Amino acid sequence: MATTTAAITLTSADLLTDALSLSATNTLYKAGTTVGLDQTTGMARAFLTATTVVDIFPQLIEGSIAFENKSSWVYICNKSEDETEFFTVKICENVIGKLYAGDFLWMPWSMRESVNANNHHGDITVAPSVDTGMAIEFTCINEGTEYPTENLVTS
Amino acid sequence: MATTTATITLSSSDLLSDELALSTTATLTTAGTSTGVTQASGLSRKTTSAASAAAIQANVLYRAGDYTANGANKVYIKNTSVIASEFYTVTIDQEEIGRLYAGDWMFTPWNATSGTKQVFTVTIAGDWLAGETWTFDGITATSADATEANFAALIHTLNYPNWTTTYGGSGVAVVFTARYASDATEVVYATADATLVTTDGTAVISAAAVGSASESDITIRPSVHTAMTYETMLIHQ
Repeated sequence: MATTTAAITLTSADLLTDALSLSATNTLYKAGTTVGLDQTTGMARAFLTATTVVDIFPQLIEGSIAFENKSSWVYICNKSEDETEFFTVKICENVIGKLYAGDFLWMPWSMRESVNANNHHGDITVAPSVDTGMAIEFTCINEGTEYPTENLVTS
Repeated sequence: MATTTATITLSSSDLLSDELALSTTATLTTAGTSTGVTQASGLSRKTTSAASAAAIQANVLYRAGDYTANGANKVYIKNTSVIASEFYTVTIDQEEIGRLYAGDWMFTPWNATSGTKQVFTVTIAGDWLAGETWTFDGITATSADATEANFAALIHTLNYPNWTTTYGGSGVAVVFTARYASDATEVVYATADATLVTTDGTAVISAAAVGSASESDITIRPSVHTAMTYETMLIHQ
C-alpha cells in the first residue's frame, strides 16, 4: 500500500498575544482502516477564461455513487497572483468559501448526494471571479474513482 | 497588521511512479487585499459524547451569522481520535463535505453566508403601572413607574438569550432582532411567548418579519457516542 501524508503548519507571531505555531500531519487511509490510499486523479492545472461554474471532478457519475462515504481528499489552490481574484468553491451548489490568490484548501470529500435533491451528487465546483484568465490546481487522492462509460452517439 | 501563514505539504514516495512532494504556503489576508487577517477564535478542543448511539447530536462549530459574510475566513478542524474507525462528519448547511477519521484534519475557506434574522417591534402603550411586568424569552421586565417610555427603555436594557434589542433613545417602541438566522414559525413563537401582567397596559407586537435559515453554518457529528475529541480554529476577518 502507498503511504501518503498531508501536513499543515499554521504560524503567526502577531495574530495573537501568544505565538501561533500549529502543526498537524495525517496519513491518508481508506475509510475506517489503516490501509493507505492508493489512487489519485493526479494534479491538474487549468487556466480558466470564463466565470462559468466548473465541475472539477466530472468523473463522479450522477446516479452511480460507487465511492460515496469512502475516503477522498481534495486539494485546490488558486494560483492567481492578483489579490482581488478568487475562485468560489461549492459543494452540492452550496458555497464553501472563496479561495483568493495563493489560497488553498484541503478537505475530505464524502461524495454524498445533495440533501436538496438537486441532482448534484456531491459535485465540487469552482467559479473564477473574472474572465481574464485564472490558474487553478487541484487533485483528489482517494480510494477509487468511477469513470464514465463510453459516450455512445446514436443517430 | 498580523502576518499569518498556512503551509500544506503533501508527500508520498509510492502513491505514484513519480514522487509526490507538494508544498504550498498561503499568507492569510482579508478578502481581495494584501492586508493580513487579524481575528481568530483561538484553537479550541472539545470532547463529544452521548448516552447512546441514538442520542448522538451534531455540534455547531461556527454560526455564519457571527462572522463576516464573504470574508476570507479559514476553518481548521482536526479529529484527534486514535481509533481508525471513528470519524466526524463535517457538514455545511446540511450538505456533507466529508468525514474526518482519526488524525485527519481539514483546512478550508469559509464563506459564512448567513440567512436573515427575524425581527419584530413591541410597542408599550396603554396605562402601565409600577410593578407590572412584560415577560419575553424568559426575561421579565418590571415597570418602575407609570411612564411607558421609561418602561420601553428598561425593556431595551435587559439581556435576552435569543434576541438583541434596538431602542431609539425615546418613545415606546423596542425592536427585537433574533440572534441567529432561522426560517419560519418563530414569529408565531415570539408573539405567543410574550406575557403581560398588567391591568390596562398593552405591548403590541408588530412589524414582525420571518427570517431565513443560515446557508453555511458548519456542524460536525461524531460517529460514536463514546468520547471523541476534536480541535478547531477559525481565522477570520
